[in-house]
Amino acid sequence: VSALGVDGRVTGAQRYSVEIERPGMLHAAFVRSPHPHARVVRVDAAALPEGCVALTPGDVADLGLYGCQARDQRVLADVARHAGDVVAAVAAPTRAEARAAADAIEVEYEELPAVFDAVEAVAPGAPLLHPDTAASAQEEVSIGVRPLPGTNVCHRFRLVSGDVDAGFAEADVVVEEAFRTPSAAHVPMEPHAALAEWEDGRLTVWAGTQTPFNTRADLAGLFGLDPEHVRIVAPPMGGSFGAKTFVRTEALAAALARKAARPVKVVLDRAEEFVTLNRHPATIRVRLGARRDGTLVAKEVDCWVDTGAYADCGPGVATKLGYAGVGPYRIPNVRVDALAVYTNLPPNGAYRGYGAMQSVWASERAMDVLAERLGMSPLELRRRNLLRDGDRFATGEVMHDVRFAECLQAAADSVSYEADPRGKGLCVLLKGMQTPSRAEIAVERTPVGYVVRCASCEMGQGVRRSIRLMAAGLLGCEPGQVEVPDPDTDSSPFDTRTTSSRSTHMMGRALAVAVEDLRRNGGDRGVGEIRNEGGLDPDTGQGIASTHWHQGAAAAHVSVDEETGRLTVKHLHGVAYAGRVVDRPGAELQNEGSLIMGLGTALFEAIDAGDGQVANANLSDYNVPALGDLPARFTHELIEREGAEVHGLGETVLPPVPAAIGNALHSLGIRLHELPMTPERVLAAVDAREGRR
Amino acid sequence: MSVTLHVNGRRTTVACEPADMLLDVLRAEGLTSVRETCRIGVCGACTVLLDGEPVSGCLTMAGQVEGREITTVEGLGGTDPVQRAFVDAHAFQCGWCTPGFVLTARRLLEERAGGPPLTDAEIAEALGGNLCRCGSYVKIVEAVRRAAGTDGRGRA
Repeated sequence: VSALGVDGRVTGAQRYSVEIERPGMLHAAFVRSPHPHARVVRVDAAALPEGCVALTPGDVADLGLYGCQARDQRVLADVARHAGDVVAAVAAPTRAEARAAADAIEVEYEELPAVFDAVEAVAPGAPLLHPDTAASAQEEVSIGVRPLPGTNVCHRFRLVSGDVDAGFAEADVVVEEAFRTPSAAHVPMEPHAALAEWEDGRLTVWAGTQTPFNTRADLAGLFGLDPEHVRIVAPPMGGSFGAKTFVRTEALAAALARKAARPVKVVLDRAEEFVTLNRHPATIRVRLGARRDGTLVAKEVDCWVDTGAYADCGPGVATKLGYAGVGPYRIPNVRVDALAVYTNLPPNGAYRGYGAMQSVWASERAMDVLAERLGMSPLELRRRNLLRDGDRFATGEVMHDVRFAECLQAAADSVSYEADPRGKGLCVLLKGMQTPSRAEIAVERTPVGYVVRCASCEMGQGVRRSIRLMAAGLLGCEPGQVEVPDPDTDSSPFDTRTTSSRSTHMMGRALAVAVEDLRRNGGDRGVGEIRNEGGLDPDTGQGIASTHWHQGAAAAHVSVDEETGRLTVKHLHGVAYAGRVVDRPGAELQNEGSLIMGLGTALFEAIDAGDGQVANANLSDYNVPALGDLPARFTHELIEREGAEVHGLGETVLPPVPAAIGNALHSLGIRLHELPMTPERVLAAVDAREGRR
Repeated sequence: MSVTLHVNGRRTTVACEPADMLLDVLRAEGLTSVRETCRIGVCGACTVLLDGEPVSGCLTMAGQVEGREITTVEGLGGTDPVQRAFVDAHAFQCGWCTPGFVLTARRLLEERAGGPPLTDAEIAEALGGNLCRCGSYVKIVEAVRRAAGTDGRGRA
């Protein structure tokens, strides 16, 4: 909000990290491998134009490996593991000069065999991407990775509850289906941007990031610095959706700035975005057994989660994808086996939903297949098995504040499902929040109001507004009297990261503690901290997956032109359990945005990189939803409960959209197993139905 | 070469290369509401009004605008009814695409001034060249309706 009270987003006054400038700064450009897998034999910068600085392997020989969950990445790749991997970099006075200088660098490669599919990558004899097993990052809240040495598996997550063999022996009906989801691009409108500057051995990086403290820890480890000697400042982002998490371009900017002894700024172009971080493709096999009355007795979920060239947070995604695949159901016997697998594709990482969409697609599609086999309504099958308050989830934890039945019923009612289910589909989901984690916040009194310092990053989700509103309520002042500065690791207290829809929930609680501290100490500063303890044993899947559950559902009503395969979503409805709403317009925007992103995922978004080269790395060939893509009826709701705590809702209604639409098709006998549901796939499924008749 | 720009009612002469795009020239002049996203004219984030018509700054050569009026949201000053309507309707999340939507909507409302009320289909058609990845479309349409309603006849 500007001095005149007009929001900077409508006046153009809002500044993003692409606009950060420092005196004497240079601009970076990267030399990227054209090969999906190749050893770098020689980098020759002899033709570098004057006034430019080149970063070649010798300049980073003293730096080790980085990575947020497994340390497996070098600042410059000695082996390029995907087409687009950065093998050298340059800095020059302008972006245009930097690009020209990057073209002047010659690189000699020795090509290696490559693999582009996670199932193929775990087969014996597949090319190995990281022959040396990567070590766990050992950061605060990093998970203990379970690599399978000598394979491309960088993490294996298993969950075992009950006895699945005995469970299936009890089942009257068993279905087994395999499902696939492709890679997708986050497409933040603002590209990745970072500016690095060294001063007296201290590194400062301004970057659009959701993870300032993780980035600080990783850069400190890489450059051999105390974390206090690295400062990360995080201006608002022009969208992120998971794209701007962990170290992306920051290490390259820092290494270039060290070499150049000048500040260096990186801004990626659109094509580079498509080789920087994408969504994990997944292949998921679901086996589901039930008694004739619809009681679920056993479930097996096997997941191959393609993390691309580097692990990044793939181990965490495989874990969350794995347990989300159990679904919000009481199932006495469960076995989940999720592999995070290296392939020679661009790295895949956090993407709104963090793996939930992939396994919800598989799990909830399998429910409708089972319902058909049982001759039972998909709504009734779900109702019969939904988790209720006090039930134990497959992880062993007891569920509390459970609202799945309410979410599902609201979704069903929105499309009058019980009156006529034809052309309609439902999906209900459970999604966890980052556990364990820690959130700290500080409230400082000023002559005109308060300054609230915290590392919750603004990416459009409205966290600053939520914090301002919550602070004003707790402090008894106007929201305009509460200033929330950009996260800065020098002055903002620690926060795990701005992910998994945790900020309003975790920071809101920490804020209440801080305000209470301020009242009690009577001074000018109060601090608050909230920890959520837990985590899962990666070998058994037992423990606390999430101290706070995201619960939601979706319903779709579709029609299909069976001559062309054209699928029309006539009505899409999303339901999120909100508990207590802090910022109503903001909550509505998060729900609407999640549904629209889910619609793109369901209907047309997919990265085309079957041979290792991203063939649609632009916004003409890779389409994201426009206004005209919205269904004729597009509705949603926030379920609230008197006295409830604040529930995160930044992602909840994205994961159920594809399965709701897929189940609507299923009700017409059109059975899809793979996303996106393009006219070609719909037409093939119509043909297959005719073949079955 | 140099080109004389008439931007937001002000005249300035800037040095540029023949291949320079209006997007880069305006950003270099500090007009950072004009934003680079797709660089191929499909997202609308670098929309400016050129003699009142929305154009993509990434597809317009700086040399083409000599002597023509350019408007960016910086020139609206925060007091434009369309800007107010976007704020009142909470029609944005990250805000990156907002200037492009505001300018495109402004032209739509000007064109329709005095005419019949805009239908949702007409609004969707007119704003079809602007992308919002945050998915604020429902409230963007609401903002356009609000702005159109300021005089009841579609004029902002």
